[in-house]
Amino acid sequence: MRYTEDEVYRASSQFRLWSFTAEQLAAQRAETNKAAVERVKAAVHRQRAQRQKESVTGSESERNGSGVDNQAVNGVQKEVEYLTVAEEQKIVNHLAETLIKLGEHFRFPVEVVATGIQFLKRFYLYNSPMTYEPQLISRSSIFLANKTENHHLTAEKYAAGFPKTTAEQILAPEYLIIQALRFTFDVRHPFRGLKGGHMEMMAMAQGQGIAPEAHGRTAAEMQAEMLYLPVRVGGAQNRMTPEELASRITTAYTKASSILKHAAILTDAYFLYTPSQIWLSAHLIADEPLTAFYLSTKFPSPPTSSPQYNKLLTTLTFCKKLLLSHHSLSPSNSSASSEDEMKAKEAEQAAGIGALIKKLRHCRDPDKIDLVKLNKAVKRDAVQDGQLEEQKAKRRKMEREGFKKEADSFWGPELPKKE
Amino acid sequence: MALSPMDSPRSVPGPAKTLAAKTKALAVQNAASSPLSSGASTPTEGTMDLAEQMNDQTRKQFVTGARLGEGTYAIVYAGHYRHDPTRLVAIKKIKVNADYKDGVAMDAIREIKYLQELSHPNIIKLHAVFSTKDQNLSLVLEHLPLGDLEQLWKNKDVRYGGADIKAWACMLARAVWFCHKNFVLHRDIKGNNLLIAADGNVKLADFGLARSFADPFRPMTYNVITRFYRPPELLYGARYYGGAVDVWSMGVVFAELALREFFLPSETDIQQLSVICDVFGTPTEETWPGVSKLEFYTPPSNPSSRPQPLQFWRARFGILGDDGIELLRAMLTMDPKRRLTAQQVLEHRYWTNAPRPTEKEDLPKNGGGAKVMGEDLKRRGGEIESGRADKVARKLFG
Ligand SMILES: Nc1ncnc2c1ncn2[C@@H]1O[C@H](COP(=O)(O)OP(=O)(O)O)[C@@H](O)[C@H]1O
Repeated sequence: MRYTEDEVYRASSQFRLWSFTAEQLAAQRAETNKAAVERVKAAVHRQRAQRQKESVTGSESERNGSGVDNQAVNGVQKEVEYLTVAEEQKIVNHLAETLIKLGEHFRFPVEVVATGIQFLKRFYLYNSPMTYEPQLISRSSIFLANKTENHHLTAEKYAAGFPKTTAEQILAPEYLIIQALRFTFDVRHPFRGLKGGHMEMMAMAQGQGIAPEAHGRTAAEMQAEMLYLPVRVGGAQNRMTPEELASRITTAYTKASSILKHAAILTDAYFLYTPSQIWLSAHLIADEPLTAFYLSTKFPSPPTSSPQYNKLLTTLTFCKKLLLSHHSLSPSNSSASSEDEMKAKEAEQAAGIGALIKKLRHCRDPDKIDLVKLNKAVKRDAVQDGQLEEQKAKRRKMEREGFKKEADSFWGPELPKKE
Repeated sequence: MALSPMDSPRSVPGPAKTLAAKTKALAVQNAASSPLSSGASTPTEGTMDLAEQMNDQTRKQFVTGARLGEGTYAIVYAGHYRHDPTRLVAIKKIKVNADYKDGVAMDAIREIKYLQELSHPNIIKLHAVFSTKDQNLSLVLEHLPLGDLEQLWKNKDVRYGGADIKAWACMLARAVWFCHKNFVLHRDIKGNNLLIAADGNVKLADFGLARSFADPFRPMTYNVITRFYRPPELLYGARYYGGAVDVWSMGVVFAELALREFFLPSETDIQQLSVICDVFGTPTEETWPGVSKLEFYTPPSNPSSRPQPLQFWRARFGILGDDGIELLRAMLTMDPKRRLTAQQVLEHRYWTNAPRPTEKEDLPKNGGGAKVMGEDLKRRGGEIESGRADKVARKLFG
């Protein structure tokens, strides 16, 4: 009846379908990008041919909803510039950060935000922002995350939190997202592991720790060792009172927890590492000697003689590096830099994203712009009830223009309006 | 607990896994070829995106046949793999609920979410999921042709004894233990959600009400679990609860198998509470600390019910033996904090004491008609037929 956490994780869809090596991840993103470019190219060709035909007959009516702007000026056809993989990633990551703010605005629980961001990242592993508008997908992803995390929220109430947005627009991409998620909704987060580890460390500090038998240290010995943990790895021994130790453990927890809520969900950590590896790496960043001590209690002494321990440490070092690469943890983001510098950096970033969004606008897949329409078309085809009345079509066209305009303004730091 | 050497995260080969292994996993999982290997760079199939193509491939793998039945939120069809008509499946097509304005139904989301994660011989297997053109989700499930545990005890053509009950109850207990180990509450355990496979295995199905219970501080709804199987804490309106709710339901199913009759039937939620109190006594702060703080709790009126004595249990559940009765009563403890956990249920000596549970191949089956009867005659003698307890129960509740 022994059933380890390891076995639990191996059976999870996160492990089966959503864990990769860095190389696999890069290869898949390159494939996705290539496929999207080819699709847009084909669509552009089709549209240009159509337009030429139309200009002969003088019809302008079906021009609406085109993602590829009319670049045929006076018959000169400019080549479309497509997003690179790196640019796609920048856009998706920007959207993911926006979702954190959105989550704060709506007061979603942390699991909802973290799951919604993973949905977004998973979606764009097999789809390109050139195909599906990332802002719409991100909003819907987090709505879906509310459902899968059992956090009750109606589409209507959620939509009302955005300017000019209907429940229909929020729900339109739901099937696309569910399909791209390959019908897996469970995301394993590192939060619970961190809490468990924290409680264990607290127990150890109080002389109530339990080490595996092979380890051979008593609870009292572990406590004594803990009270002398250096501040830095390799630093001098540092005698702490039990209160000081407890507060140190709590400080480490708080810092690690904040890393889990930002760097861990915004980088590729979930694709590359297990939840335990992620929380341990975050804890290493927060307090290396404490984490190293904690890890050592899990292996026979001395831990360095265990190949498993050394392997684990190597993995954690890579994961730690990945987390530290996130700008929320970069040194320039800390007290060293002045407020002005920070502001300048933010502005620079915003400008960079702005330019990418502009670029995206010129290379979008024209077939996939209006998701509400697309969604209806799919349903319509299925039920064969064909025609839409003139009135409805007109209303839909207005809606489409409405949210296209609104999408343009969203990309700034602007947040949804208060309910 | 959070990390032992055995559980060392590095021993999970996730990041280091080979492409081949990954591809295989994908093929098994959704029976669609892996996007990593299938030349995604040639998006020739019209305007379908990669995910749509994968979905299409999955859908084409199955053939839908006759309608098997209809539940509250889905219609179930017989089906089979296109390439191998002998490999049967059940295809559960989620109904569109026009009243639900928030997209894909929550039942479907929950069922898919949890079945994707739970892989266990006593939990129904989800082979694949696909969506059809009209955007209906279909779950491709393991085909379980021999009915369910409720049909089984209701079918008077099927005779069974204590060793058989032990085998069925044990499979149920394993399924519940596994769910809880994965921090999943089923919240609708009952005889007709326990389906029977061709090989006699019992499988827990219908995860439409399931949810995770990892966070003990998030309130949950008390309006779950079919009434006869609903534990007293939910009837009293508890919003913070855990695995104990499923253990109660499991106890009621166990009792029904022995009685061959509903154990705690009622017409209303209020009546359900009084039926429970008639058997277990009206709870008080002494017998169940904290009970008086639950929203719908009312102190016992005079005269309040007292728990039934051991004699009551022996008269009705003799077929389970004394240790079986002890286990049953421990699963049906009013105070959820003192009720056995799923782990403790499995650790009970009832399972290892004589008689040994019947091997699943030898279990009596539903719907086998003459064949089942014939096999039944060959069974060892000395088994108690549980019809007697049945009549007592009917007198009590009828
Ligand atoms: N996996 C399965 N294999 C065979 N038949 C099934 C399976 N699942 C369900 N059925 C049949 O379909 C019917 C409807 O099932 P379900 O949707 O679960 O509704 P309910 O539980 O409300 O009866 C069941 O009564 C059963 O006869």
